[in-house]
This record gives sequence, C-alpha cells and structure tokens, in this order.
Amino acid sequence: MNIEIEEISKEFGATAALHPVSLSIPSGTLVALLGPSGSGKTTLLRILGGLEFPTAGRVLFDGSDATGLTVQERRAGFVFQSYALFRHMTVFDNIAYGLRARPRKTRPPAAEIARRVTRLLDLIKLPDIGARYPSQLSGGQRQRVALARALAIEPRMLLLDEPFGALDAKVRRELRQGLRDIHDTTGLTTVFVTHDQEEAMELADLVVVMSMGRIEQVGKPEDIRARPKTAFVREFITS
Amino acid sequence: MTETTLPLRWRPATTEPALVRWGLTVLCLAVLGVLLFAPLIAVFAEALRDGVALAIASLSEPDARSAIRLTLLVAAVVVPLNAAFGIAAAWAITKFDWRGKPLVLTLIDLPFSVSPVVAGLMFVLLFGANSALGAWLVAHGYPIVFAVPGIMLATLFITFPFVARELIPVMLEQGRAEEEAALTLGATGWRMFFTVTLPNIRWALLYGVLLCNARAMGEFGAVAVVSGKIRGQTTTMPLMIEMFYNEYLSVAAFTMAALLALLAFVTLTLKTALEWRYADQLAANHRH
Amino acid sequence: MTLRPFALRSPTPMPGWGLSFGVMMTTLSVIVLVPMAALLWRGFIGFGPAEMWEVVNRPRVWSALALSFRAALIASVFNLVFGVALAWVLVRYRFPGKRIIDAAVDLPFALPTAVAGIALTAIYAPNGFFGAALDQAFGLKVAYTELGIWIALVFVGLPFVVRTVQPVIEEIDRETEEASATLGATRLRTLTHVVLPTLTPAALTGFALALARSVGEYGSVIFIAGNLPNVTEIAPLLIVIRLEEFDYDGAVAIAIAMLSISFTMLLVINLIQIMSRRRMGAV
Ligand SMILES: Nc1ncnc2c1ncn2[C@@H]1O[C@H](COP(=O)(O)OP(=O)(O)OP(=O)(O)O)[C@@H](O)[C@H]1O
Ligand SMILES: [Mg+2]
Repeated sequence: MNIEIEEISKEFGATAALHPVSLSIPSGTLVALLGPSGSGKTTLLRILGGLEFPTAGRVLFDGSDATGLTVQERRAGFVFQSYALFRHMTVFDNIAYGLRARPRKTRPPAAEIARRVTRLLDLIKLPDIGARYPSQLSGGQRQRVALARALAIEPRMLLLDEPFGALDAKVRRELRQGLRDIHDTTGLTTVFVTHDQEEAMELADLVVVMSMGRIEQVGKPEDIRARPKTAFVREFITS
Repeated sequence: MTETTLPLRWRPATTEPALVRWGLTVLCLAVLGVLLFAPLIAVFAEALRDGVALAIASLSEPDARSAIRLTLLVAAVVVPLNAAFGIAAAWAITKFDWRGKPLVLTLIDLPFSVSPVVAGLMFVLLFGANSALGAWLVAHGYPIVFAVPGIMLATLFITFPFVARELIPVMLEQGRAEEEAALTLGATGWRMFFTVTLPNIRWALLYGVLLCNARAMGEFGAVAVVSGKIRGQTTTMPLMIEMFYNEYLSVAAFTMAALLALLAFVTLTLKTALEWRYADQLAANHRH
Repeated sequence: MTLRPFALRSPTPMPGWGLSFGVMMTTLSVIVLVPMAALLWRGFIGFGPAEMWEVVNRPRVWSALALSFRAALIASVFNLVFGVALAWVLVRYRFPGKRIIDAAVDLPFALPTAVAGIALTAIYAPNGFFGAALDQAFGLKVAYTELGIWIALVFVGLPFVVRTVQPVIEEIDRETEEASATLGATRLRTLTHVVLPTLTPAALTGFALALARSVGEYGSVIFIAGNLPNVTEIAPLLIVIRLEEFDYDGAVAIAIAMLSISFTMLLVINLIQIMSRRRMGAV
C-alpha cells in the first residue's frame, strides 16, 4: 500500500510539532524517519497510525483519503517504543488479541487463530514462548512479540517507533536483520522511527531526515550520504 | 494550506465518546449528590430549622457542654498516644530487618476489620465488673468500663492503625540512607531522629494525626458499648447526638451533628491542602 | 536484605531498636492482642463452642447475621462498580469543580458515623426530602427498611475503592490502550480486556476494605434501619442488645460468629487477589 502525506502539520497548543510536511512512500518500501530528539518523528508516525489527528493536511492510503479514518479502521500494525504488551496476558493471548477483537462475522475460528499465532511465533523465531507472560521475557524477545502482535492483524502497513531503542547494541544488530527479513517476506510498507543514522542507513530503502518539525531531505541512503542537501543533514549523518 | 476539520467519527484512542464521558460524569455527580452532599446539607438545614439562636442555645446546655469537653479530652489523650505508637512502629518496621514483620503488620491492621461494637465488647469483657481484673480495679477505685478510661481504650483500639499506616509507606520509600549518613557524622539517636527523620515525615505524620483525630472524635459504636452513656459523665458528642435524637430533640441533635460536620470539613480541607502542597512527602496513594 | 538463619534481626548500626520495638509490641499487646484474646478466651473456654453454636443457631441471630453480611456485600459490590467508575471519571475526565469533588469523596472517612446516620435518616425518612419523593413516585420506602441499610453502608464504604483504584489508573500506560486500538479493538473492548484487568487487584483491595468496614458498621445504620427483630436488625445491634441484657455470653457468641465469617471472606478475597496478581506475572 502506498502512503501519501500531503501538507500535514500538527500543533500541540502553542508548540508546532510538525510544520507542513509532505512525503510520498511507494508501496512495499522500508522507510526510516531519522532525526534528533523532538524533531517530530513520533508525531508523524502517530498521525499515520491514527493515534493523532493533524492540525491541517491530508493522508492518503492508495490514493484515497484516510485522514478521518479511526485507528481501528486504519489497520496499521503499530509497534510502540515501550512495546506496550498486555502484562496480564500470555504471549499467545497478546498475539491473538487483534484477531479475537474482530467482529464475529470476520473473526477466524479458534483453531485458525491458534494456527496463525503459531506461525507468527515461528516467524519471529520464538516458537516456544507462547505460554509465558511478558514479564518473563527479555527485552529483545518482547520487541519481537510486539512485532508479531502487530503482524497478526494482517496490517496494511507496519509502523514502528524506535523499535530497537531500548536494547543493547548486540541485540539491536540481530533484530535489525530480523526486521529486514520480515519486511522482505511480508512485503508490507514499513515506516520506522530512529535517531540512529547508522541504523537508518543500513536498514532502510528510503531515509527521511527530519529536524524541528520539517523534512530536511528524502532519499536513498547512498544518495543522502553522497549528496546531503543541507548543512544539518551533513552534520547529522557524519556525527 | 487547508485546515482539516475534525470529523465527528475520529477521536483519540484513549478516550470514550463524548456522550459516554458526559453521561458517566453526570451519573457520578448525581450519585455523589444524593449520597454525600444531600445528607451534609440536611444536617445544617435541620440544625438551623428554628433559627441560629436556638441552635447555639442547645449547645450551651450542661449536657452538651460536657459531651464536647469529654470528646476533646478523649482526642487529646488518644491522638498523641497513637502518634507515639505510630512513630515507634514505623521506626521498628522500616529501619530494621526482622522476622515476623508481615504478622505484626497484619496485627496492626486488625482493628480495621473488627466491628466497633465487637471492639467495645472486648474491653467490657476485660475490664467489666464481672471479670476478675475489672472487679479488682473497681474495688480499688479505678473503674475502666462505663467510665472515661474505657472510652479512651476503645477509641485507641479503633484508631490504632491510622498513624502507623501513613508513616510506614513514606518511611519505606525514603529508605535509611539519610539516617545512616547522620550516624556517620556522629549524631546520636535522638538528635538524628529530630533533625533528620522527623522533618522528613512531618507532613505524613500530620496527615495520619488528622485522620486519627477525626475518627477519635467521631467514634460511635465502640464508645457506645463501653461508655454506659451516663449523661454529663461518659457521653461523648456522637453519643449525645443519639440521646438528643431519641428524645426527639431534633435541633439539639442536629446542631451537635453540625458541629462534628464542621470538624469533618476542617479535616478534609487540611487533608486536601496537604495533598496538594506536600504530595511528594505523603504515601503514594494520596497523590493525585 | 536477607536474614541469617535463626537470627531474629539482622545487625545494623541504626539506634532505637529496643525502644521502638518495645513500645510497638507493648501497645499492640495492650490495645489489640490482650482484648482480642479476652474475647476468644471467653467464647471458646469460658463459654464453649457448643454453647456458642446454640446461641447463634437461632432464627433471630441468623437473620441478623445474614442481614449484616448480605447488606454489606450488596453495598460493597455497588461501591466496587461505582468506585471504579468514579475513579475513572476523576482521573480521566475534566469538568468544573473536579478538585472539590475529588476532595469530597473522603467525606465518609471524616464525617462521624452518627452524623451520617441521622443525616441520611432525615432525608430518606418518609417525611424527608428524598424519602417523600420516592414514596410518592414509586411507593418506595427507604428509611426503616433494608434499602436504608444499603444506603448507609454505601455511604460508609464509598471512598475505599475510589482511593485504591485512583492511583492505579493514573499509572496506566496509555500506550497499552493505544496498542489495543491499533489492533482493531473497540473502545469498549479495550476497557474490558485491557484496562479493567489491570485494575482488578487494586479494586479487590478496596472492595475488601469496604466490606470489612461495612459488615461491622453500627453508627450510621441504627438510625436508618428501624431495627425490627428478624427484619432490619443488624448483627452489631444484636450484640449491643445482648450486652444491655447483661447476656455477655450471648454477645460473645455473636461477635465470634461475625469475626469468623469476616475473616473467611477476607481470606477468600485475598486468595483471589493473589491469583490475579500472579497471572500478571509481576509478583
Ligand atoms: N502530546 C503532546 N503534547 C504536547 N507536545 C507534544 C506532544 N507530543 C509531542 N509534543 C512535542 O512535539 C515535538 C515533537 O515531538 P515528537 O515526539 O514527535 O519528537 P520525536 O522526534 O519523536 O523525538 P524523540 O526522538 O525524543 O522521540 C516536541 O517538541 C514535543 O515536545
Ligand atoms: Mg519519539
């Protein structure tokens, strides 16, 4: 699914988190929103997911206006920075949550749900942890469970806020490849937020460099590296 | 740039529809109105039914005056004792590691789950005239039950956990580092307590004392059982309310009640002020 | 900090152990343990289990006990539901006068029960403001019926659930609610499947406190209850009546019956709570 962001702006009271920004994301791309703290990355991601309503502008999914769609209607797989796993549910129940929440007409039967959860656990390479509670998992495992939970609803796109932010360097590198693999097998349009330029450059097809609520540059990693458009971008990617 | 108007359907994921929000708020306020505010208004309305002069006059009756005096006396004895107990218990529980702590904590909370009437009954059994101890005490001129000391004991029981329950979480949270630092600087025990510990817990202590006092002055069931309700001698304000009420002295009963309601007002105001001003120094569940 | 085996207390340079522990244990014994022991002694040894059973096993006592526990349960269940809703409104919604309302929730803690009792009676009596209106509109009598007892007990137990649940709602991670929504759950489903389960342990704590308080409540109930034997006579009142007749054994038997039922109930609630905490994984 391709995503079109048209002149989106967002103000929180007096602070402008996003000045009008526009961006077009082709279907199936893995996009990194890269920028320093407070540059508006999370805000933009939450607007895409329907968790925040823009002050002005439009969002188009596959050409049709999605600005007014509720969170539920967007069907965006969202992975939160804190993972936001449900503490009182097992890993299995966490992953099955979205399928069970569907209206009766479209809800798969229990056996089918179990089959899909098992397949997702295999996909994240944690086949045996279904019966555990989130508190019994490592940080890296939690991150992957959050990803599997987001994938379970057969999302139209995948949105991840600092997916590796809370992990140590070694685990980060492992999971980075994991995300790339999952993106390649599912073919989903994927947007992830990071403030780590190395991570963005290594992983993404398309890098969006943001600063102070504006998009500074959009391009392939090698283009951005070779031809930084502004002084800010040059500074940021070499630091 | 086109201003995007908020469509009716869209709302933040963490809120309920406006209709639900308003409905629930109005419902809650209505229940509180019927259950909390209406009775409060009724107290003052009934007290002032025949005019302010009569209400005030009812308070200057000798029985009423002695009830007020007795209630103040009981609070003046019970509250400091419970404050001292609360500090000692909180100190022993939070500054030392020892076996049996959970059991002691449970026992401190026990009065919360005992009916006030049963509490009163315990003291009647222990000190009443038909127990050996009670008979001996009466013979030597120290009656406990149907006398003021019994009222104090029963009130002590009822308010027992109040101060300790406020102090323990606060002192647990503050840890032992500051006291240990004071010790390494050569402070002696009492000096450390007054210069380091007490300043840290004073607002929590005041909070506990406030609640303890409110309950001490308002206790009814336990006191009713041990007091013997001797007019002018062992009748506290709440018991006086009952007597006036049963004698159809409505204005007197409700005036006395209004006096206690004013006390509740003061308690709530001070308590809320503490919560707003010194939230960081109170137990975590009072911070909002 | 772990204790060495067999040591009562781990060593520490902190002063005041002897004094604080001594004061605590002495007061605890004099005020709580000895009186409690006196009650149990009188009941089990002075009077005897069989005799106590005989006292309790009479219609008037049974109906008083049943009334006390039934009314307390009904009032506490109401307070459980209403308390969670009110805590939610107080934390999440904004409306004028919110801070005053929040402060007023503690009124039942601060207002003496006798005051509450006569005040509630004044408005719910047949000639009172609400009492007359309810009687005319629905033929509903509140004061001097069991309904009146429920209202008094709701009043007394009102703050407990609100005050235990409120801090937990404040701590809820909003992102878990958002996560639920992104997974397609309606708001109602998010509330029932994500929010409520996290409130359960605290709500149960509040429920247990409210229940313990309202089972034994005396002051606010006796004014509004009517105190008709077998109909609106609560167990604590029956204890008082027995005492006034100088039937100490009878009073003790009823008191011990009340305590036993209360403690069994609190134990069950505690077990449910431990189970629901354990399910959360975080002990
Ligand atoms: N709910 C909110 N209310 C008020 N201001 C907000 C809110 N959310 C974000 N902001 C402000 O908007 C700006 C952009 O925030 P945003 O969270 O999008 O930045 P970010 O790029 O994700 O930063 P970080 O890397 O620290 O997560 C910041 O100045 C922030 O303070
Ligand atoms: Mg962010």
